[in-house]
Amino acid sequence: MNEFTVKMREIARELLEKGEVHMIIGWEKGRFPQQSPPAFITSADQIDRLIWDEYCLAGTAKYLLDDKFEHRKVGLFARGCDSRAINRLVQDGQIDKEKLYIIGICCSGMKDSASNETALKCQECTHPNPVVFDLLIGEPVPESDKPERFKAVEELEKKSADEKYEYWTKQFSKCIRCYACRNICPACNCRECFVEQYRVGWQGKQNNLAENQVFGLTRAYHIGDRCIECGECARACPMDLPLMELNRKLIKDMNQLFGPYKASLDTEDTPPLGKYRLDDIEEFM
Amino acid sequence: MKTITKANMMDAIAILAQDAQVLVPMTVDGISKFSLWGSEGTLAFSAVNTLLPPKDSLFPQTEKMYSYQVENQTITSLDIHNEAKQQIIFGIRPCDMQSIQCMDDVFLTKTFVDDFYRVKREKLITVCIGCNKTAPTCFCESMGGSPAGHGAADIQLCDLGNSYSIVAQTAAGQAVVEKWQGLVRDEEGSVPEVSCTLKVDAQGLPAQLSKMFNHPIWQEVSRKCIGCGTCTYLCPTCYCFDIDVQNNGNEGYRFRCWDSCMFSDYARMAGGHDPRPSKNERIRNRFLHKLEYFNERYGKNLCVGCGRCLTKCPVHVDITLFIDKVKEVSSIESVQL
Repeated sequence: MNEFTVKMREIARELLEKGEVHMIIGWEKGRFPQQSPPAFITSADQIDRLIWDEYCLAGTAKYLLDDKFEHRKVGLFARGCDSRAINRLVQDGQIDKEKLYIIGICCSGMKDSASNETALKCQECTHPNPVVFDLLIGEPVPESDKPERFKAVEELEKKSADEKYEYWTKQFSKCIRCYACRNICPACNCRECFVEQYRVGWQGKQNNLAENQVFGLTRAYHIGDRCIECGECARACPMDLPLMELNRKLIKDMNQLFGPYKASLDTEDTPPLGKYRLDDIEEFM
Repeated sequence: MKTITKANMMDAIAILAQDAQVLVPMTVDGISKFSLWGSEGTLAFSAVNTLLPPKDSLFPQTEKMYSYQVENQTITSLDIHNEAKQQIIFGIRPCDMQSIQCMDDVFLTKTFVDDFYRVKREKLITVCIGCNKTAPTCFCESMGGSPAGHGAADIQLCDLGNSYSIVAQTAAGQAVVEKWQGLVRDEEGSVPEVSCTLKVDAQGLPAQLSKMFNHPIWQEVSRKCIGCGTCTYLCPTCYCFDIDVQNNGNEGYRFRCWDSCMFSDYARMAGGHDPRPSKNERIRNRFLHKLEYFNERYGKNLCVGCGRCLTKCPVHVDITLFIDKVKEVSSIESVQL
């Protein structure tokens, strides 16, 4: 058993036994060695299920929405990505930070279940260490700004409009509209998604290129300045759509237009598109 | 036994493609699925299973049912789209073959015959290739199937290394084999034995589950579900659909499209009431449909053990672990009794 797992179980036991929290969200082993799905621990006798290994791919924070109206505290393990997801949900007014106990984990990256190489989302991660926590496990790992995470977007920008259109139509032709990207995304936290507003009819139910693009582009714009770059959308997509390329294009444009911005490093800063400034550029007016 | 070499197999498919749409396992833009022979992509006959099942050749994700035109409140034209072309699914795996049998039960038996499905099914020939290896996530044997082959396929092939053995199992299959004269030869050989490494005990599940509707197990298994439709849309047997209309001025069409019981609007009724308001009820419905209700109505599981859902679920909700859990619960409860 690795050192982190031992530590995690110790902390979880103490928190549950003291009654500090009623549940701990972490990870456990699935049936296969490459699967470490989320785990929800509610009593001391379940603590030995908790683990930490290189396949803890799924985020823990989005599950906080399931217990939005719970009065007791929830404990959760949070890496850099999870901690920014927590900030995202707090900033969006979805959850109350006072009702959380955040156990930070300094993360050295996960492996992709299929290829067994470092997961793409971890290769592109700029904040492996938690940005908010009550307690920290491990020593902070080195961080870098990773400008190479925009490389795919830069390559796409070199293409002509027709080539870009061809690229994205090919991608969205594959989409089966399972909505895994939306459901796993911490920035997708609307109580009712535009997709489900069936009486308004923003989104038709047919699976075709037009409807798939409406979904993909609307979602990308809707999370535009709130994307925390956790990469969960692209990881969850069963059809391997490079969804982070869309998000990164918006982030890159915003960095150029409004100055460098990384979403949800804290809960104070307002996202660029939600902020009104007299000196905002107005090149379209 | 009758065999055909792998090299000749390509010619055999080309013969069939002369007067039918032949669908073969292919990798197209990184996604393995059944695609038209001769279209862009790489053949994937050696893959254990395709990511997308061949379900949509009989039951498309979106299907136009009829088109209409209206003038002065009178219908001026109405076209019902229930014609089908001859299709051959070449290289379907035994689990997916079983899924077609499940869909046959739903769309063709028990009083209602679905015409849109029937026309396609009547013009479908299936050539099943037995698996000579299984993936760690395969468990068709536990669900009543076998990786070696499926009795309902028109033709059953087995991979012998350099060639395939051929058994025509129906008259339609026999007619196809006759077209391959000159390519087929007689050869001694034996079909390799294969077995799934993943095994679950599904014996007696429907009866056990029928007593567990209000069991706390649902809360436990649904907790990690994120409520997306990946499991249902990759499932070879999920057959739920919704019907809607696309109206443009005085013309339009009615269509049906796949629906998913994992979605929040799936069971929502007029007036807004939803009898399955959370993932707890939705997961329960999905698992009970697969393992209890379908058994009660049609005498077979609606899970064929292909393993797609437990491979691709973003948070690894695993139906085989659920079955294990049900067995644990029932053994504990019978001890308590």
